[in-house]
Amino acid sequence: MGKNVLLVDDSSTMRKIIGRSLRQAGIEFDNIFEAADGLEALEILDKEKVDIVLSDINMPNMDGISFLKEKATRESVKNIPVLMISTETGDDIIGEAKALGALGAIKKPFTPDKVNEVLGPLL
Amino acid sequence: MDISEKIIESTNEIFSSMVMMELAVNGEIRDCMEPLTNSITGVIGLAGTHKGVLAIHFPITVALAITSSFLGMDVDEMNEDVEDAVGELANMLGGSVKSILSAKGRDIELSLPSVISGENYDFQPTREVDRVVIPFKCDAGEFSVELELEK
Repeated sequence: MGKNVLLVDDSSTMRKIIGRSLRQAGIEFDNIFEAADGLEALEILDKEKVDIVLSDINMPNMDGISFLKEKATRESVKNIPVLMISTETGDDIIGEAKALGALGAIKKPFTPDKVNEVLGPLL
Repeated sequence: MDISEKIIESTNEIFSSMVMMELAVNGEIRDCMEPLTNSITGVIGLAGTHKGVLAIHFPITVALAITSSFLGMDVDEMNEDVEDAVGELANMLGGSVKSILSAKGRDIELSLPSVISGENYDFQPTREVDRVVIPFKCDAGEFSVELELEK
């Protein structure tokens, strides 16, 4: 059975580019789900089988840090791994994301090779 | 390295890795902007220990070509994809500027990106600021990136 990924970013452009980068990196998913913020992401996690989440931090409605906090309270989804993909790469913010369960971070801008280097070992 | 050089480095990195276009600085760095014609501007606000705005200004024709390259599909008229792409370019540049000004990332907050477009508009600070306007050129044409920081 294949794997499914959830892309969380308020920019539809960035969601398309992350999807393209996954394909260029040779990382195939059966389904790529998309959400524009943390609230939409939680709704999708409740409904769909998701194997890994790639999430922005700076988003409207519910940002990436709040998404991690809320996800951690939900028994059925709390163990789904999350990797941050963000312009926010300061030690404090990434440290907080990791403390809330994020596996790591990819800095925007990124290349398909960078996506493969960070995401590949997690799959 | 001063902040102008870091912005040039970051802009080059964003365009070469994600827009798939090579850039060159196109003339002298300035501290003023002429009114813009048939253009689109992506803006990110900075708040905290440094207050100001980061903006990227494209003629519409250049924005269409850059969005096409960014998305890997033909875009020949202004639409939400162009606005979103310009906003995201501003967002990535804002993130770079934030990392230059705040290594740990907690003492500066970035706004969400906004986009302005029109036939004729002027983009000017209303407070006393340190301002750098960096002109670039690429295969698609010319554009500029500016940073305004409150004194």
